[in-house]
Amino acid sequence: MSSRILCAAFGLALVLAPTGQAAAHCFVGARFFPATLVTDDPCVADEMSLPTLSFSSANPSGRENDVGVDFAKRITENFGITVGTTWTFVRPPANDATLGTSASGFQNLDTAFQYQVLKDAQHEFALLAGLVVEWGSTGAAGVGAPPWSTLQPTVYFGKGFGDLPDNLGLIRAFAITGQVGYQVPTTSFDLTNQVPISQNLAYGASLQFSFPYLKSNVIDLELPNFINHLIPIVEAQFLSPVANNDGNPWITTGTVNPGVIWVGDYFQVGVEAIIPINRASGTNIGAIAQLHFYLDDIFPNSIGRPLIGSAPPPQKPFGD
Amino acid sequence: MRKTLLVFVPLLLSGAAAHAHAFLDHANPRVGSTVRSAPSEVTLWFTQKLEPAFSSAQVRDSSGARVDQGARVDGMQIHVPVKALSPGTYRVRWKVLSVDTHTTEGNFTFRVGQ
Repeated sequence: MSSRILCAAFGLALVLAPTGQAAAHCFVGARFFPATLVTDDPCVADEMSLPTLSFSSANPSGRENDVGVDFAKRITENFGITVGTTWTFVRPPANDATLGTSASGFQNLDTAFQYQVLKDAQHEFALLAGLVVEWGSTGAAGVGAPPWSTLQPTVYFGKGFGDLPDNLGLIRAFAITGQVGYQVPTTSFDLTNQVPISQNLAYGASLQFSFPYLKSNVIDLELPNFINHLIPIVEAQFLSPVANNDGNPWITTGTVNPGVIWVGDYFQVGVEAIIPINRASGTNIGAIAQLHFYLDDIFPNSIGRPLIGSAPPPQKPFGD
Repeated sequence: MRKTLLVFVPLLLSGAAAHAHAFLDHANPRVGSTVRSAPSEVTLWFTQKLEPAFSSAQVRDSSGARVDQGARVDGMQIHVPVKALSPGTYRVRWKVLSVDTHTTEGNFTFRVGQ
């Protein structure tokens, strides 16, 4: 009993312990990691994506349109929760039992519980651990929302290349982010379709070139102001069945998403193409666009702050 | 969704209650530039007003020795007088706190006479 209490206290201490000064959305040293569109950035933050619009052929024989909303809130300086939902129109319906040529409705509710493990300012490195939960039976079967829940422990990272030698020039403006998760459904067998429900490896990454970083930390080329707010990016996301998949095809699905993000003071706008990696992932190129708000900048004294605790008091720069 | 946008858009347009992170807008000497004659001061311009007590900058030569003579914060600017600079590469490090309590930092180099 006492060991359980000790473990709980240790866990609470971890959650409440600050890792650094208030920086809120994803600043790590001189590096800013923007909110990416199909993967997740490596920081807890107070942010909201409203809306995320996508048009794709994720349904191999038809098309799918999605309108998504995500709201991320820091509970403490290092622990945050994200809630997201997506309204989907799909043709033909994803579920054979659905009548008609199309279907629409909400996908299952998603929730992510995330903890900021590390922010290394000098090396522009961030590490985040989380548990993503898709809540079964909260969405419409006709758009493919399953009746079972899925638990997905996930690790996220981000690394800027700004700590490379100065003579590498433009390369220092690049950064990568990535995530690896393991999907475990709460049910192992789909009684409706008489097939096992696979456990999957869900992974993705992004390669990004930051013009804001280039201008502020590498070389000011006196480019137009609009260009200096751009972060060209290539994202990729994949899903590979790894267990309990007998009778189903062992095919990795995924997309590669080249695009660009414009970063402002209070919000960002991102646009990417969605390119399926094989026919099982889709048959046509789609697109995704997102308007994303930095709540910590818009409401710095209310919903832009952690609910519990406060950031450490500001320090004198350089220990002066 | 429409109601939420009705709340956000006027706020974003007015900017009345909001203060963003302070980014380095530009510097003199320019980030990554080479200047023929040594400057007597490095000046940094930021995108937001700074908290003077918690904002500063330093200039160091290629051996890591400081060549600045302190820093003075003035609104959205930091002025860093420097000693007489000989030809070489110098690194400017800055760390600032904007008025909304968000910290940002960065560093860059410039060269003199090379």
